[in-house]
Amino acid sequence: MENSNPTILNAADLPTRNRPTVKSGDYPSGIFAAVPNPADFLSSDSEDDDLLEEPIDEQEIYDLIRSISDPEHPLSLGELAVVSLPDIFIKPTLPNVPDSPLQTVTVLITPTITHCSLATVIGLGVRVRLEQSLPPRFRIDVRIKEGTHSTGDEVNKQLGDKERVAAALENGALMQVIAKMMETCQ
Amino acid sequence: MSALQTFMLVVEHDKEEAKRIADSVAQDVESKKATLIEIVQQLGEYINDEDPILRGKAVSFLTAIQVLTTFFGDRIEDGGAVAGLEYLQGLDRFTKELAVETAEALFGNFQDLQSRSQSQRFQVYQLLNELMSKHRSALRDMGDDSLLGTVDLMTGEKDPRNLMIVFSILKVVMMEWDVTNHAELLFDSVYNYFPITFRPPPNDPYGITAQDLKGRLQECISASRHFAPHAIPSLLDKMDSTSPNVKKDALNCLIACINSYDPDTVSRYSITLWEVLKFEILNAQEEILSESSLEALSAIAKRLSEGVIETSQDLPLAQYLHPITKECNEQLQEPQHKQAKPAQQILSSLSSASAVAFTLIVQTVVAPIFTIYQEADGIAKQRALLDTLAVLFQSALHVFGQWTTRGGEIPQENPLLEFKDQFSETLGQALMGSAKGEISFRVTAMKGFLRLSTLRNFFQDNEIGLFVQYLDEILLKEESVGRDDLKKEAISTLAEISKHKPRLIMDITFPAFVATLPDQDDGTNTAYLSTLDTLAQISVERDIFETLFRRLFSKLSVLLQKEQPGSAAYPRAILMTLLYVMQQRDMKADPNVELYFDKVVLGLCRSVAESASGQSKNQILNDPTILDTLGRLCNLLTRAVSVQKQAHVAQNVYTLFSTGDFVPVPFSQGTTVDQERTIIISTYLLAALSKDCGNLIPYATSNMSGLLGDLVQRSVSDSAEPATHLALLRHLALLVNKFLSKEDLNISEKLFDSLISSEEQSFTPAKIRTIFWLAKALVLRIAPTTTHILTSLLGLLSSSDPKTSSSTARGFAILLGDDDVLSAKNGATIRLLSKQRVFTTVIPLISSRIREVNIAGNGQSTPVESSDHIKPAHLTALSGILSTISTTLVLPELPTLLPLLLQSLDLQTSDSVAVRAATLDTLGVIIRDNGVAVIDKCGHVHSLVQRLLKTTESRPGTGVVNPPRLRVDSLKCIYLLATKQAPVESAPNARIPPSISPLLPEKAQVLRSLRAVLDDPKRDVRKAAVDARSAWLRGVDDAPEEDD
Repeated sequence: MENSNPTILNAADLPTRNRPTVKSGDYPSGIFAAVPNPADFLSSDSEDDDLLEEPIDEQEIYDLIRSISDPEHPLSLGELAVVSLPDIFIKPTLPNVPDSPLQTVTVLITPTITHCSLATVIGLGVRVRLEQSLPPRFRIDVRIKEGTHSTGDEVNKQLGDKERVAAALENGALMQVIAKMMETCQ
Repeated sequence: MSALQTFMLVVEHDKEEAKRIADSVAQDVESKKATLIEIVQQLGEYINDEDPILRGKAVSFLTAIQVLTTFFGDRIEDGGAVAGLEYLQGLDRFTKELAVETAEALFGNFQDLQSRSQSQRFQVYQLLNELMSKHRSALRDMGDDSLLGTVDLMTGEKDPRNLMIVFSILKVVMMEWDVTNHAELLFDSVYNYFPITFRPPPNDPYGITAQDLKGRLQECISASRHFAPHAIPSLLDKMDSTSPNVKKDALNCLIACINSYDPDTVSRYSITLWEVLKFEILNAQEEILSESSLEALSAIAKRLSEGVIETSQDLPLAQYLHPITKECNEQLQEPQHKQAKPAQQILSSLSSASAVAFTLIVQTVVAPIFTIYQEADGIAKQRALLDTLAVLFQSALHVFGQWTTRGGEIPQENPLLEFKDQFSETLGQALMGSAKGEISFRVTAMKGFLRLSTLRNFFQDNEIGLFVQYLDEILLKEESVGRDDLKKEAISTLAEISKHKPRLIMDITFPAFVATLPDQDDGTNTAYLSTLDTLAQISVERDIFETLFRRLFSKLSVLLQKEQPGSAAYPRAILMTLLYVMQQRDMKADPNVELYFDKVVLGLCRSVAESASGQSKNQILNDPTILDTLGRLCNLLTRAVSVQKQAHVAQNVYTLFSTGDFVPVPFSQGTTVDQERTIIISTYLLAALSKDCGNLIPYATSNMSGLLGDLVQRSVSDSAEPATHLALLRHLALLVNKFLSKEDLNISEKLFDSLISSEEQSFTPAKIRTIFWLAKALVLRIAPTTTHILTSLLGLLSSSDPKTSSSTARGFAILLGDDDVLSAKNGATIRLLSKQRVFTTVIPLISSRIREVNIAGNGQSTPVESSDHIKPAHLTALSGILSTISTTLVLPELPTLLPLLLQSLDLQTSDSVAVRAATLDTLGVIIRDNGVAVIDKCGHVHSLVQRLLKTTESRPGTGVVNPPRLRVDSLKCIYLLATKQAPVESAPNARIPPSISPLLPEKAQVLRSLRAVLDDPKRDVRKAAVDARSAWLRGVDDAPEEDD
């Protein structure tokens, strides 16, 4: 264990999506929701929200990766601030082609200490999670945040190289570590 | 004549002869002509004889046998001799000397015991065990001889059955013998067995578990404080083991030792124990190890606190706590770091050990925390420190109790009192002085404040009152932020304080809140809703509720007298507030219940009647939603009052206690809508009455047919408002289900037949609902005609009129659905097997009818009449039934049912959304509770997966309607398939051979299809798709996972 006593963010303080409160009908919440209106059994609830589109945004990417476990600690990447919301970016892959659906997700990773040898593994874990969870029109770019790791360039080269990523994922022992990290994903 | 009898005859007069007989018996035994047992058994009848002289003679014969015992002691290796001795030692006259002799024989002759068979060894241990329990002092007086002898005897024993008995013999020796000279030998004799790795063989007939052995071994190790120098270092060594199980056993053993050795001994090792155990807590690898280590540390503190009254730094307890608090203080310097959490846990479990431990810890820990708090550079850090303080407050509650705790006063002064003002100021500042948006920080402060406020004899009332004012301010003045966690927390905090200090809530919170309630709702501001909400949640305590009732009832009375009362939402909210609180309380036990009953049931019902006949100042009590809420309130109160009062209600169930011009509903002609609406109140009153009041209900005294007929007529006519109509239906159902006697059931059955057997093909929805409610009332009590009723209902599904058919289909959800009025709580007759009865009757009929329709559709020979609606109608009816019964009933019928459910999923239109949603619910529960195997057994995995995948598609404009909710539900089913592959419960011995998952052939397609769903326009759908997809990626494999 390289860093046995890292700083931990409180789970309640991690950024979450503020859900719009349930459409306030006659009686909003609390005790007044407990007693049902004398409803007619023939009526069915309306579905007028259905057409509203909710595009994939940074918070959604964050929610996908924040619950990945750290390989060293029984803590999540979100709690350890290895991934954080301001370090996630979604941009069109081809800005010159306005109709193109292609998007690029960039995730910058902050290791808990600058010489963390597991940075590559964490990066791979994030990458695998996103590849499994995002539609094919997304390009995924996972990098170490500048200045947070002593051999950041080296790690970035490895994470950015398709061939090397593919080779790494063939490695059974490595995949086991990554599978273990993703067990806690919710 | 046996030798014995001869002996008995001659012993009186011929001593010589008697001796000769005894000797010859001895020789017989020696030459194995007779066994010892036979002789003693023969003797039994004399030894137990009532004549004391005869008994004396018999014993004297036995005295001669003593010689034998000694003699056979030498021959004890003979198995029969052991059994005989065991019998002998049980007799009254087996003396101390004999016991010693026997024991010596045991110890002296069994050097080779371990080479004998298990059962022989068992016999020997059994004998020793018996001697231990019956002649313990004799053995104890043997001192070292018996101690060493016992150890020698059992050394090398391996059989678990024998070990169980050996451990219990040794425990006696360890606890009652003087072991000072042989402590190590004794300790080693049992510690050799640590850790126990025994695993009982399958179908073990002896039923000895590893845990049994561990328990007995643990009792031995902890039996004597003289073992401590050997036991504690050895057990601590085991903490280096790589096996968590060994560590767990060692920890349990240590805890047992701590609890059993004397405090001085524990004190000697206390710091060593801390040094080792702290690693298990600070670098916790396994939660259970950390928990056990904390338990051990806390146990030490408890033992060292025994008999201590004065707190002083010279106490062994203080010396033990010193390095611990030092370590914790160091870790807490950086309260956000990972190891601050375990430091908190250490403080928590040690400070709750005793009042003295709490005092010592508070004295060394609190001041440094305040120092770091002052210097902290961020709110997150301060919050972590407040968390630590809150942990100490929790321990204080544990040690000193709450205001409401009875007894157990602690003589010591609470050391937190020294810091009282500091706490009050810091927490108040954190709660009210920090930025309004710092929710989690403020919530932490609030929690800390609450703990101190409930801590017995800590704050003065005015100090808690200040806190209550803060909470009021948060609730009344602050804007809502985000998820409103702060306000929710504030409400539950007030509710908690109300249990301890109700007066403060009544004096401070009530006036402040009630003052904000408007006189009427003019439609501009609905802030009163949240005020009422808060009031409701803090008014469960009796005294507070009384105040709440008085205040709100007078508000309501004022409203009822107004010419312009504003929106009905306000009086309704007031009634709902009262209803909510009464539901939380046990009204039967409330001494004021009759007062509430008089005011609400008598008073307001009378006002309802006046209002219905147009004699009131306003229309509030004509509003159906108000009547519904008021009805629930009346129902609750009527259930809580005496039978006499209920009888009074029964007589007035239709007149509503009115004395004026009000016309009750039944049999009235030309009633106004307002008058008819009072049936809502009547129905709730009727539901509350006990069955005994049945004969007091007006119009129902001798024969109910008139009343029922009138109600049916009113329900069938399509003119009533929805709320009134529902009340009429419930009223009808209540009468039939609850009050109609068995003999009169035919009245209702005739009514049902006359409704359903009319000539016409199309029925109005009102009529269909009447039919179903009548059927519900009868089916729930399993009336004799239940099967006839159900088949008649199914017949309506095939009506050629599509509207009749589809209304009927939806009616099936009514049949078994839970109802607030026709409920068990209201004394309705709901037989346990009614659901099963309906299900088993209806499912085969639906199934065969659908098959008929399918064949007819394929055959094309029959003219394609307008019967397209029949299949969906049956499937809808099926989903209605399924949504109201538990899956345990469903499972046996699964082979019949599954094809029907799959066909339901094939419906793709928007009308079928509800049916498909119900189907997916049912499928989800089936998969969750029973795994994939049950579906595989029916051979439908492939078809199910195909249909589920189809339902996940979102394709606007293609005519296929899969709303987001359906897509999510269907993805959940796909997820469940992958997570529930293993059979939920397989018998331990029936290990299923590793087989290929039935999902494997589907894997590629599922992953491909779900990849597209990852781009769904709806976030919830995407989330469900991510979960489902990763479950399939992870879980669906060639071979099932091996469990460790």
